[in-house]
Amino acid sequence: MSKSRYGINVARWGVCLGFSVLLGLGLPLSSMAQEDLPEGFKQQGLPAPLPAEQIEAGKRVYFTKCVWCHGVEGAGDGPGAVRLWPRPRNFNAGTFKIRHTASGQLPLIDLDLLQTVTHGLPGSAMPSWEGILTEQQRKDVLAFVTSQLVQDRSWQDEEFEEFFVLDLEGLPPKPGTPESIKRGSELVVEKKCIECHGLEGRGDGNAFNLKDDWGFSIQPADWHKCWNFRGSRQDPYNVKNIFRTFSTGLNGTPMPSFADNTSVDERWDIANYVNSLCEREQEIKAPQGTVTDETALTFSTSQPLGIDPLTDKPKSNFVVPSKFVEGDLPTDENDERWNLIPRRWIAMGGQITHKPRNFVNRIDDMWVRALYNETHIEFMFRWDDRTKSIQEDEVDWDPTEVNLEDYGVEEQAPQGTTFEEDPFHQESIAAKQKDGYAVYNDGVAFQFPIKWQELPAPRKPRYFWGDERFAADITKWTADGTLGVYEGTGWDEDFTEVDFQEEVEVVKAEWANGQWTVIVKRPLKGDYDEVAYLEQGKYIPMVFFAWDGHNGDVGRKMAVSAFYYLVMEPPIPMTTYLYPGLITVGIVIIEGWVLGRRANKRKKTQGQA
Amino acid sequence: MTWLKLVEGYMPMQMISELAGSILVFALVNWALNRAGMGIPKFWAGIGVWIYIQLYLKYRIYPPIPFSVRAIYGTVSGCGIFMWVSGSEGEWQEFKRPILNVMDGISGFHKGLRTAALIVIPLALGGFAYNSFLPSFEEPIELRTVHPAPPATTKVHGKTFVLQVVENPYRVNNDGKYDQAYTDARIVEQSMGRLMKDVNDPNYNPWDPNAEGYTKYVREGGEIFFQNCHFCHGDNLNGRGLWAYAFNPIPANFTDAGTIAQLQETFVFWRVSKGGIGLPGEGFPWASVMPPWEQHLTVDEIWKVVMFEYWHTGYYPRTWD
Repeated sequence: MSKSRYGINVARWGVCLGFSVLLGLGLPLSSMAQEDLPEGFKQQGLPAPLPAEQIEAGKRVYFTKCVWCHGVEGAGDGPGAVRLWPRPRNFNAGTFKIRHTASGQLPLIDLDLLQTVTHGLPGSAMPSWEGILTEQQRKDVLAFVTSQLVQDRSWQDEEFEEFFVLDLEGLPPKPGTPESIKRGSELVVEKKCIECHGLEGRGDGNAFNLKDDWGFSIQPADWHKCWNFRGSRQDPYNVKNIFRTFSTGLNGTPMPSFADNTSVDERWDIANYVNSLCEREQEIKAPQGTVTDETALTFSTSQPLGIDPLTDKPKSNFVVPSKFVEGDLPTDENDERWNLIPRRWIAMGGQITHKPRNFVNRIDDMWVRALYNETHIEFMFRWDDRTKSIQEDEVDWDPTEVNLEDYGVEEQAPQGTTFEEDPFHQESIAAKQKDGYAVYNDGVAFQFPIKWQELPAPRKPRYFWGDERFAADITKWTADGTLGVYEGTGWDEDFTEVDFQEEVEVVKAEWANGQWTVIVKRPLKGDYDEVAYLEQGKYIPMVFFAWDGHNGDVGRKMAVSAFYYLVMEPPIPMTTYLYPGLITVGIVIIEGWVLGRRANKRKKTQGQA
Repeated sequence: MTWLKLVEGYMPMQMISELAGSILVFALVNWALNRAGMGIPKFWAGIGVWIYIQLYLKYRIYPPIPFSVRAIYGTVSGCGIFMWVSGSEGEWQEFKRPILNVMDGISGFHKGLRTAALIVIPLALGGFAYNSFLPSFEEPIELRTVHPAPPATTKVHGKTFVLQVVENPYRVNNDGKYDQAYTDARIVEQSMGRLMKDVNDPNYNPWDPNAEGYTKYVREGGEIFFQNCHFCHGDNLNGRGLWAYAFNPIPANFTDAGTIAQLQETFVFWRVSKGGIGLPGEGFPWASVMPPWEQHLTVDEIWKVVMFEYWHTGYYPRTWD
């Protein structure tokens, strides 16, 4: 419709009007700024100062809710900070990661910061405050933080501050077509994204040497877990969030803005590719980041995982299904038969029940599949780990030992809140690497109850390696190649080796591009008194454990899951087909009878009439 | 569905009012259509409302309710609708009419419908039966007692505490005497946000440099909480911490009126000290990841953190009488 003369006139008038309004407000509209403006950005004026009453109201919110992590002066040094990774934000310098504004600029208070407080920062301890604080309270606290705690800069500083705002509303997303995804996969190589984020985008490219503005170790995002993207705004599969982060960068981190050296179109392609890598219902592999036409098509058509609105993580299902297969079990991860069974997402948290606790947990989930035949069951574990960790020196302790305090494996007390105070903080992988800190073996383990058949439901051996009364059957693999089956009788009791070692087998253990694939095979049955006797069609309680050696995980310092249930699905019995058939036939007979009666009745009434 | 969130704690009321509201809207629309002479037959109106209720229960409620429960609601709402459509003999006749028309096949269209129904009904029921006979392995439901009966005494760090008589040594007034009324006056407000009463008064703001006594102890408790507990119980003490998603049973939500608000402070002291492993069998000690905090904290620290939890949620501990 803009083809009509009238339409063009209106558009012109609109532009003129817009300019005169901007000029009327006295905004700096130098020709320099116009040239600097990257594609897709608009310039915006400085916000008005916020009223003193609002700042005062915000102070009350801050000192009730925020001070505990962000500290009295807003330096990110509250009592909670010492055990957190990532660290709470230090507001003083006005450096904020998630913004619509150009690299280095302050964020928009009423958009960026409000969204951060509203939706939280997933993957960090910052929760969503929606439903806890009213919108007014959230705005109040931002007034306090931005005016009182951001000390080095000011939103009202006309001399130094300007706002180039990404016009996300005015840029319609490019559909995630196979072509766009494929082009994105080529652009991430061209633009060197993979140098940090890794060939397959698991954040394993430069896992050791990155630091933020405060000296803290920082790691590139794992594109396969979009629900952990800080800027995902409780809407992880929304490509706009990735486009925004890619366009504006993350201030204070090594993640730059790509606004100056990519076109808007290229940015959408990259965002579409990154978005497509986020795990889907279907497992899609693009080995070494090579996307074929076929892979791109699968990416563009597969369903995202269901996200649980209560946790903002993928939805859990506590049943791990296993299907029967004829003949030998798979010998690698590419066997088609793995697709007989859905993979299960296992949520994992840090072990913080007993010392040494794992406050900085790096393995937050794992994927499991299981298949079985007449004699054996096979588990395939896949989890993202940026670092392949194999202990260089010989391990001092026996694999059955669990109390490693004597070997110097102790819980680290909180040291301080700045990097200088605490350079060897448990989060500091960089420091560990440089200063020759102990790197232990990566590992994975799972436990079943021994003699679970005799447990009065819902009783189980304790999730943490069993207890005195009920022992656990623990199968544990470590990256140095050790695979063992042990009996556990408590969190602080050394394991007992079980006469089953010869029977279990590591079918495959490989670390590639930030992901471990470990396939473990074990017999269904052994000595009934010593190992779990796995049976068809029963709910067999199961717990998973994982260790990241570069995180200092060893012994009890590990990631742990809740109780899951292994179910070896039996073949479908005949009755499943028989009874529904009988029911269908029965209903046809009933229908005939009802209609017959109705017809008779009508005939009679008509006859009488 | 971010457009209208179900608010925790108000959810049952919200559900009932939403359903009642939509039924009211239906009634109004129905009435208006009748007035305008375009009334919908009761047959279709009834079926429509019933399907609406089913869809509401299935897609609106989160976390989802199991099929068996929806079946109960479906039956009850079905009965209600049946009573409505069969209110008088005339209405009942009117309701039956479309069904009888199809059975009798009064026109070509009805005959076609009858043939379709004759085929679809047995197939649908057969398919339903097949699905229910197909072995399925849903997550087993295991019910756990969240607040089991406490023991009479508990021994922490070598000292025996009689839960009926022991008092929080930090819940004290200016004279250093145990004083619940004094401390209850200083907790956060029970309004939205649960904020401290006055940020500029050292009596109410634990972070005020001049805060002392109870208010200062609250801050010390908070420091312990935010170094140890928030990983599961969350920054707002609502059980939505960093790792809450990984654990089952889920961490307790202290802002819910059903947890610390209805417990004695000494009960909380016992639960914190002994953790998940110290629960009796009905509390599922094998599954809880709650640490026995006596392994990590001193008795004083436990008392302070318990007091902080009451302060931050704005609840009073229950008394024994």
